[in-house]
Amino acid sequence: MRVAIPRHFLLVAALLLGNLVGCATPPPASDPDAVADFNETNDPLEPTNRVMYSIDNGLDTVLLEPVARAYRFIFPQPVRAGIHNVLSNLGTPVQLSNDMLSGKPRRAGDTTMRFLINTTVGVVGIFDVAKGWGYPDHDSDFGITMALWGVPEGPFLFLPVFGPSDPRDAIGLGIDSAMDPFNWVGQGTAVRALDWSRFGISAVDQRERHLDDIENTKKTALDPYATFRSLYRQHRRSIIETARNDNRATIPVWFPLSGAPEGVSYTPAGASNH
Amino acid sequence: MPHRRTFLVLTAATLVPTAGWLARPAHAQSAAQHATTFVRGVGEQLVAVVNGTQPDAQKRAELTRIIDGAVDVDGVARFCLGRFWRNASSQQQQNYMTLFHQVLVNNITSKLGDYRGVSFIMGKADMRDENAVVSTVVNRPNNPPTNVDWIVANPTAGPKIIDVVAEGTSLRLTQRQDYASYLSHNNDNIDALINAMRQQVAQAG
Repeated sequence: MRVAIPRHFLLVAALLLGNLVGCATPPPASDPDAVADFNETNDPLEPTNRVMYSIDNGLDTVLLEPVARAYRFIFPQPVRAGIHNVLSNLGTPVQLSNDMLSGKPRRAGDTTMRFLINTTVGVVGIFDVAKGWGYPDHDSDFGITMALWGVPEGPFLFLPVFGPSDPRDAIGLGIDSAMDPFNWVGQGTAVRALDWSRFGISAVDQRERHLDDIENTKKTALDPYATFRSLYRQHRRSIIETARNDNRATIPVWFPLSGAPEGVSYTPAGASNH
Repeated sequence: MPHRRTFLVLTAATLVPTAGWLARPAHAQSAAQHATTFVRGVGEQLVAVVNGTQPDAQKRAELTRIIDGAVDVDGVARFCLGRFWRNASSQQQQNYMTLFHQVLVNNITSKLGDYRGVSFIMGKADMRDENAVVSTVVNRPNNPPTNVDWIVANPTAGPKIIDVVAEGTSLRLTQRQDYASYLSHNNDNIDALINAMRQQVAQAG
C-alpha cells in the first residue's frame, strides 16, 4: 500500500525538485569496469538526490521517526494492524483500477473480494478476514501498471518527502492520486482536513512498519544513501516480477481448482502426467 | 460455504504440488527437499539462540558458530567486494575477509534485542539453476511478517547459504552496492573500505 497524497502536493514537490538539479560526473571511458558500474547504478542526478536524501533524512529524524515511535509506544500491535487494514481498505479503488489496467483479472477479483469481505465481516476494514479466506493482499499501483505495460524504470530519483523513487514511480504516484475518488469528492475545510489526516496517518503507519529496518540499515551501511537506493530498486523490481508472474487462470468459482492459493498457477493435471 | 471452500483449498493443495512434482526431474525434487531440511534446521538453531535466556556474550558465540557452519561467508565476502577483489593485494584480501566475518556477525547480533520472540514458517522450495531457493515467512515482534528466501548452494552435498533475500532484496547484492558506492566516493581505495569496516567493528565493541 502506498501513502495517499492530497491534491496539489505533487506540484509543490515537483517545483522543489526542479530548483536543485546537479549531475554526476561519469568516470573516464578508459576504465570500462567503472563505466559499467556507473551505468548499472543509473543515478545521473546523484548529487541532487543526495541533497534530497539529507533533507528528507533530517526531516525524518526530527519529525516522522519520533511520531512513529510514539505511535508504536501508544498503540499495541493489534490496534496498529487494524489502522493499517482500514487505510489499506480505503485504497481499494486505486488498487482495483490498477489491477484492471495491468490486465490481471484474478488480482482484480482478489481486490474486490477483499473489499466486500473486509468492509462487512471485517468491520469497515479493521480486520483482514479475507486473507484467511484465500484472498491475500498484493501490491498494485500505477508505477507497477506502467512497468507491466513496458514503460522503463528510468534513472533513480530521491523525491522530497516521498523518498526513493524513479520517474516511472513518481508519475505513478501522481496518477494514483488523481484516480483516487477520495480526492474527487467535495471541497471545503472538512474534506481537506480528512484528506490530510489520511495522508498523515498513512505516513506514520508506513514509517512505523519500517522503524527497525530503517534503523538497522542506517546503522550498518557505510553509504546509507546507496543502500536505500539499492533496496528500493530491488524491492520494486521484485513486486513487479511477482505481479508479472501472477498469471492465474480466470476460471469460474465453481471449478475445483479455483481455490488455489496466490502465486500458484493452475497447471492442467493431464499436461504433466507423463 | 466455508466448508466447500475448505474442501476446494484442500483439493488444490494436494493436486497442485502433485502436478509440480510429476513435471520436475526427481533429483531436483530431492535437492529442494534437502535444502528445505537444511534451512529449517539452521532456522530452528538461530531462533533457539535468539529467544534463549543465556547472556548476550554466549548468544554471540553460538550465533558465530551457527553462521560459520551454515553460511558460505568467504564466498559472500568475495561477492560483496565485486570487481575490487581482483585488484586487492593478498594482504588486503585477508584483512577484508577477517573484517567481513566480524561485521556480518555484528550486524546480526546487534539486532538480538529486536528479534527476541522471532519465529518463522517454512514455505515452498525450488531449484534456480544450481541453487535451491527456500521460501519462509519470518515474524518478528512489532514488525509485519517478512517474506524471506534463503539461497542454498550445493543442496545435496554440503549445503551452504549464499544469500538471504528479504522482500525481494538480496542481502549480498545490497551489501555489494553499498561497498561499491563507498569505494567510488573514496577513489576506489580498498584500504579506505578496510578502515571503515575496522571502525564499524570497533564501534560495535
